[in-house]
Amino acid sequence: MSLAARNLAIRLGRALILKGVDLTARAGCLTAIIGPNGSGKTTLLRALTGELAATSGQVVLNGRDIAGFRPHELAALRAVLPQQTALSFPFTATEIVRIGLTSHPGRETDRDDLIRAALAAVGLPGHAGRLYQQLSGGEQQRVQLARALAQVWQPLGDDGPRWLLLDEPVSSLDIAHQLTVMRLAADYARRGGGVIAVMHDLNLTAMFADHLLLMHEGRAMGEGTPAEVLTDDLLSRAYGCRLCVNRAPVQGIWLLPQLASV
Amino acid sequence: MVALDARNHRIEGDRRHLGRALSLWLLALLLVLAVFSLGHGASGVSAPAVLLDRLAGRAIAPTDAVVLFDIRLPRLLTGILVGAGLAVSGAIMQGLFRNPLADPGLLGVSAGASLGAISAIVMGGALPAAISAAIGWHLVPLAAFAGSWLAMLTLYGIATRQGRTSVATMLLAGIALAAMIAALSGLIIYRADDEQLRDLTFWGMGSLAGSSWSKLQAAGPVILLALMAAPALARGLNGLALGEAAAAHVGIRVQRIKTGAVLITAAATGAAVAISGGIGFVGIVVPHLLRLIAGPDHRWLLVNSALLGSSVLIVADMISRSIVAPAELPIGIVTAMIGGPFFLWVLLSNRRALDG
Amino acid sequence: MTARACHSAGCGPRAALMALIAATAAALLSGPAAADPHPDASRVLSIGGSVTEIVYALGQQDRLVARDTTSNYPAEAQALPDIGYMRQLSAEGVLSVKPDLILAEDGAGPPETIALLKQAGIPFETIPPGTGPGGLADKITAVAEALGVPDTATAPVAALQADLDRLADISADPAQKKRVLFVLFATGGRITASGTGTEADAIIRMAGAENAVQGFEGYKPLTDEAITSAAPDIILTMRRGGAGAEIDAKAEDLLALPAISTTPAARNGAVISMDGLYLLGFGPRTGKAALDLHDAIYGTS
Repeated sequence: MSLAARNLAIRLGRALILKGVDLTARAGCLTAIIGPNGSGKTTLLRALTGELAATSGQVVLNGRDIAGFRPHELAALRAVLPQQTALSFPFTATEIVRIGLTSHPGRETDRDDLIRAALAAVGLPGHAGRLYQQLSGGEQQRVQLARALAQVWQPLGDDGPRWLLLDEPVSSLDIAHQLTVMRLAADYARRGGGVIAVMHDLNLTAMFADHLLLMHEGRAMGEGTPAEVLTDDLLSRAYGCRLCVNRAPVQGIWLLPQLASV
Repeated sequence: MVALDARNHRIEGDRRHLGRALSLWLLALLLVLAVFSLGHGASGVSAPAVLLDRLAGRAIAPTDAVVLFDIRLPRLLTGILVGAGLAVSGAIMQGLFRNPLADPGLLGVSAGASLGAISAIVMGGALPAAISAAIGWHLVPLAAFAGSWLAMLTLYGIATRQGRTSVATMLLAGIALAAMIAALSGLIIYRADDEQLRDLTFWGMGSLAGSSWSKLQAAGPVILLALMAAPALARGLNGLALGEAAAAHVGIRVQRIKTGAVLITAAATGAAVAISGGIGFVGIVVPHLLRLIAGPDHRWLLVNSALLGSSVLIVADMISRSIVAPAELPIGIVTAMIGGPFFLWVLLSNRRALDG
Repeated sequence: MTARACHSAGCGPRAALMALIAATAAALLSGPAAADPHPDASRVLSIGGSVTEIVYALGQQDRLVARDTTSNYPAEAQALPDIGYMRQLSAEGVLSVKPDLILAEDGAGPPETIALLKQAGIPFETIPPGTGPGGLADKITAVAEALGVPDTATAPVAALQADLDRLADISADPAQKKRVLFVLFATGGRITASGTGTEADAIIRMAGAENAVQGFEGYKPLTDEAITSAAPDIILTMRRGGAGAEIDAKAEDLLALPAISTTPAARNGAVISMDGLYLLGFGPRTGKAALDLHDAIYGTS
């Protein structure tokens, strides 16, 4: 089972943002989409969520064209974590997570259990009653992640895997919380679910991703394992500056998330 | 024991029990105020005495019967429906525009209604006699209702492309439309004579003094239907608080919610404004206050807005008809005079929460 | 229960419509008919400044129990309870003064309230507007007849007629009519003046003068050039009294306005200011008001 883009093109207004992208993200893997600013990463993710309709090509979710899904069917199969969410009204963390259960068919007590579990999973069990606006940026991001997690809590259902689509999930977090969130995502994939994340941090990407798509000017410049994609040549061409992997600077201080321990 | 269990298991931050409890209190408040409002008025007619006489089959003075059954009762029911309609419309608009200061005016509903009323007041005399005889004094409400729908449909049409309504376009086009309507209204007002100008001024200040069974029969069902349909929007509006994309991601049919919100608001506000003129502040203050008490969850917010909106309007109406009795003050003045300072007080005392 | 059902049926839209059609037909057929007499009415509510004034002129003021906001002459009338502005009456407010007769100037409303008052069984008599010399006498007579004391009208009508006759005698030669500009407001230097079809236009003509503005109906803002080309000999304004006094146009302010400074009125410093209700009320004092205005325009005769 997979979530795949087939020769996908997206036009927004007059500009052609995606110019025929192929991607196959498998359940059980954490797939990362990387690339420079403006390369079409977020647009691709929005197409994969079903939010943007394909101009040509298609998006196939668990073997079915995504255009044929109804909103509540889609909501049962995949959850989305946006880059950031400005909230218009003072909801509590609990209430935010409950919004993720809008299409949940279960009983009220099941929902309450899910909300508790999801807030605990993102490390915010004590923040259930706090107002969203009074949380720090990182806490807000984790509440949103809890909402998405609660929406597709079981990674593997009877009718196939569930999907988490994350748009820069760690961009506003400190390094400890970056690791927490990436471990949560990787764990979701290990339990059979599918995860697709748009990533800026190449170290974290190298550390957690099973599969990579490198975007450049609306096209896929490379797709494969981190070892295949994270090469000096591909990265330097994509990001427009000299980059070398696996080499340590001669002087100065540097720090890698790979060496962090909890 | 069961109740105790439920309480122990409630998640922190779940404020639905507050909403539920609040709705019971507000219902009780509304009933008390309704009884009080029926029993009090400038004429001093005693409602219990008249009702007892009627039950006992005794003769009732025609004046007393008219005061109770044709003045106070339709006026009370009109107040309840108008208050509920305005407050619920306000809550829906704030949810749709994701802004606690939004009101149905953004849909052009108020401007359209006022253009309709102005046209009817100033140019109604030019209608063929047959038509004006058939419509009679319902001309102004009818024109106001038609005006509000015309404005709303125009705006909705402008903002909707390929089956998607852009809320931002609606907001901006609404400003342009309001300016055009204001110019048109100005043109018509220029032709108005002195008496028509005074009628216009009073219409703009709102009043329940013109309430009657026939108006209630015409506008009541429209507001009632809108109120009954409103709860269907609740989950959708909750989702919209996260933004349109996030709402769609959790399975909400965003376009349906937008269309529903626009139609319900236009129906409720259009009909309310048509029978009572311009009554401000209820639609902003009531939902805001309720959000402070029980949170912004629309599943209780909409119900409670209806209940509190009704109560607020009943109180405002009691003030409007007692403060300068035997004359009465337009109710729009009362709601603005209470609502304005109250709103400022709420804003200032919650400044930290708002800025935070 | 039956009574209740009957009740709502009696005020449904269909019933209201029928009543309206019947009322319209009756109004069309009967024309300006004399009001029904109510000699026994002892709690009279008077709506409209001129009607109240007439009740006083007829010596029937002891029968009044309340008045509307526009009834502020004579001064004693202001001691009566005020039931609000005549076009925005509240049914219960009116009923609360327990009237057994309502005398209303044409235009009292809203119609819903009037319908409820009639439904409550309160006699409701509408007095014709009475702009124009003949209409005024009719108006006084109508009030007297509605109060059931037709004889009391004789003296005020005769006095009015005497004033009107005198006006006719002394009225200026049509060729030498002076041109009068009635200024309603001059707030912010912007002149709102009277065109034709207004009370101001009527009283100017009664006083044997000519309205300097003929191009439109009602009260409208005028451009500076229109004022210059109207070339009024006299500027006429009114005093509002009480809270309204603030917006009264002052003579010196008026004459200082550039548009007016070019007119004959400015050259002669001819600004006349009269009490608003006296000047425009069209009540029993209107003959006197027209005479006063005539004298102010042409000098005491």
